[in-house]
Amino acid sequence: MIFFVAIMLALFAGILAVILLDKRFARGAAALFASVALAIIIIMFFYYLTGRMVGYSESIPYISTFGISLQFYANEFSVPLSLLAGIVGLAAIIGGNPLQERAKASNSLILLFELAAIGLFASGNLFLFFIFWDVGIIAVFFMISCLGEGNNLNSAKVYLFYSLLASALLLFGILMIYFYTPIRSFNISTIEAGAQTIPLGVQEVIFVSLLIAFMIKMPVFPFHSWMQGAYSDASTQGSMLIGGVLSKFGAYGILLIFLMLPIARTYAPYILIIAIVSAFYAAFNGIRKDDLKRMAAFTSMAESAIILTGVTALGAFGLDGAMYGMVAFGLGISLMFLSIGSVEFMYGSKHLSTLRGIVKGAASTAYSFLFGVFAATGVPITAAFIADLLIFTGADKSFGVLGVVPLFSIIIVGAYLYYAINKSFFDTENSIEIVRYETGHWNPSYALLIFSILALGIVPALILGFR
Amino acid sequence: MIHSIVEYGIPLVILTMVTGGFAFLRRRGRWSMALTGLFLIIAVGMGILAFLSGYDFVEFGIFRINGFSSMLLSFFAIALLLVLVLAKDEEEPGLFNMLFCLIASGAFFVVLSYSLLSLMMAIELISAATALMILKGGKKRIEPAVKLFVISTVAISVFVFAVAMIMPYDLGFAIAPLQMNTGLTGSSLIMLAAALFIVALAVEAGLFPFNIWMADVYQGAQGHVTALLSGVNKKIAFIAILYIFFVVFAGYTKILSPLFELIAILTMFFGNLVAMVQKDVKRMLAYSSISQAGYILIGIAVGTTLGLDASLFQIIAHTFMTIGAFGIVMWLGSRGINTVEDYKGLFQRNGFVGVAFALLLLSMAGVPPLMGFVGKFLLFSSAISSGLIALAAIGIINSFISIYYYGKVIVSMADRTEKGRLHADYGVIFVTAVCLLVILVVGIYPQPLISILSKSVMSVF
Repeated sequence: MIFFVAIMLALFAGILAVILLDKRFARGAAALFASVALAIIIIMFFYYLTGRMVGYSESIPYISTFGISLQFYANEFSVPLSLLAGIVGLAAIIGGNPLQERAKASNSLILLFELAAIGLFASGNLFLFFIFWDVGIIAVFFMISCLGEGNNLNSAKVYLFYSLLASALLLFGILMIYFYTPIRSFNISTIEAGAQTIPLGVQEVIFVSLLIAFMIKMPVFPFHSWMQGAYSDASTQGSMLIGGVLSKFGAYGILLIFLMLPIARTYAPYILIIAIVSAFYAAFNGIRKDDLKRMAAFTSMAESAIILTGVTALGAFGLDGAMYGMVAFGLGISLMFLSIGSVEFMYGSKHLSTLRGIVKGAASTAYSFLFGVFAATGVPITAAFIADLLIFTGADKSFGVLGVVPLFSIIIVGAYLYYAINKSFFDTENSIEIVRYETGHWNPSYALLIFSILALGIVPALILGFR
Repeated sequence: MIHSIVEYGIPLVILTMVTGGFAFLRRRGRWSMALTGLFLIIAVGMGILAFLSGYDFVEFGIFRINGFSSMLLSFFAIALLLVLVLAKDEEEPGLFNMLFCLIASGAFFVVLSYSLLSLMMAIELISAATALMILKGGKKRIEPAVKLFVISTVAISVFVFAVAMIMPYDLGFAIAPLQMNTGLTGSSLIMLAAALFIVALAVEAGLFPFNIWMADVYQGAQGHVTALLSGVNKKIAFIAILYIFFVVFAGYTKILSPLFELIAILTMFFGNLVAMVQKDVKRMLAYSSISQAGYILIGIAVGTTLGLDASLFQIIAHTFMTIGAFGIVMWLGSRGINTVEDYKGLFQRNGFVGVAFALLLLSMAGVPPLMGFVGKFLLFSSAISSGLIALAAIGIINSFISIYYYGKVIVSMADRTEKGRLHADYGVIFVTAVCLLVILVVGIYPQPLISILSKSVMSVF
């Protein structure tokens, strides 16, 4: 069995097919290959759930001079996160680009990003992690600069600048880890075993550089300036992937630091404080936004802070919760972005001040947005509820009352989101007219995302069974 | 059989190129260019043959054919071939071909040289021919040509002076380790000679502070000449640096290392910071090429085998990136597209060239999975593994700074203002496609090239 290699080959074949075939077949080909990849992920998922893949890994020699091989691990992180990337990618391909503008570029970039995301989540060594990290960043960069709208060129510049600052820090940190572990190795499990011997001063340098790199990508409070522009000016598909998957690169990275470097644990309380500040910063900033996409962007930032709380809490609850949070919030936020994109397509606007009574013209989109908000705010039977429950139980155990503080940011986020929904989506009194009647294929995407959110919300064992 | 092919073939090719250049002057230029191409292809074949058969011998006291030199022979022949394809629309093909042949044979001389004197002659040959090459094509090119000519003449005299300084210790002039007389270890005379060598070669290699001529010359010359300067001339100077400081001054690497470190840092910062404010893309690439010289110098400063591998890798990577990029810039320049502002909408105007240019720039910036990243990864890891953490950190900071100006061009290309389509001619497409293929394939699977390089480095150092 070579699951990960098969997934990547499928996605790579998809990219080739999209580029080589005619423009008309771009979405079909992309959807086909993304579905194949998703099917393989689901098969792998069930293999894993039934416990048939303990210690499963794939390894192909790559750069033998540095002892680097293409290593992919199936573990409690990589499998669910690959599932997230697979679902969001497929949903974006099907529903995200109704008129198939620049079909070749958009579809191939999504597949490339999905490949990078799955590679990153499954990679067993830091070298591969870095390579897939940058591939993902560049794919999203083109989604903003070439496919985005509005002030996209400027946003793309800012995004590229921040992201490559992150990757420069990441590269530095990775090289330092490599040369300071006793057995020089990029292998994550080897580093976990040998990291205690790294001198404390060096560990601090590594920790700070990696932490800033991942905080930029999450994004967390002082490093979030790229976020608004990137989220709101990217194409709908780009926003879905940035909010749903790319921000999880950073969260997963911080999780890896906490697993690898012993010194991280001593700094956990400080990071918790950053998470608290970030959560409330995002929540309060979201209130004033008129642009729905920006509102969703700040929701995503608040959720990132909550995931960060779970990671810092560690322990079984914290890690499980962070894991669950990444998948649940990722699905929820991409559902929100997809429905906002559809609203923008149909009504020609994404501004709360102009939108009224969307439910009248586009019921499925309005209800999907509502469901996305449920999923974001952690209403029971959605997956995010379980995530919040686990994260804050864990945080309470580790930090006491202080750990539960970020929970209140969700209340603020919920307040303004429900206000927005009430005003723009369900106020049928003075509803505005649809501008464009062409229908997109967004309904299947809504169904896919909603189904996954409900499934994970009702049967937590689907992901918690991994432990 | 193979031995005699290699033994007689390689000198014969070089000799034919030297004389052939003159013979075909002003006669049916295009055909003579094609003939030059044929000789280059033969040189590629010979180099591969010699590399595979693993010979190591010295000819006439001036050529050394071993794994290292034969690998570089084929590599530079490929680079020269690419430049030749770019030059196919040259207005004065006869003259161009003559100068090109001289530069090519000079390059092969340097790569194969086993004597300091032949190295010097070859560098002289190259710089004289290069100055003429820049001059060719109009009165407005007189200034850069004279600049280069004067500076390189001074550089050559400095080189001769340096050779004269080490003459008492190495009468054979061979590129072999200096006989380390106990009284001479670390002697100031040797150090002075080393410093003069650095000065002499820094001019061609574009190291700070001897690179002030570079941007003017690169911008002023014709596109394919710039590709030649940046892709071949500069890299040849680096090969000469490798020969002199890792073979001749082999015993003094430790003492010279801080000097190279300093020059590397200054060169990187100079190139990157000045490139940030450029508006003309060709000039920007000229400064970026200076900063790349700084990265290459990191490996030389490290001085280990790993550092050498890394430097060679980056030399090869940058050659392909720069020839591809200058090829595209040349073609766009011929259509009046010069500044970052003019590049707006290139993705729409010509998708292939736009994507290729973006990837070449990203590769220069060191973004995986492209070849430029692997080169930088090797360089930085060689620095960290020798404990030069600050050097690696500065290198990483610089490659981050470079994102600013590469990103500016890429973002500008993504602009969606409607403009007419541009149709590229097949020469540019071919060169771009080859360079793109190389940076993608080697970037995704670098192990074969790394093995070849470490094998060839073993054979000489």
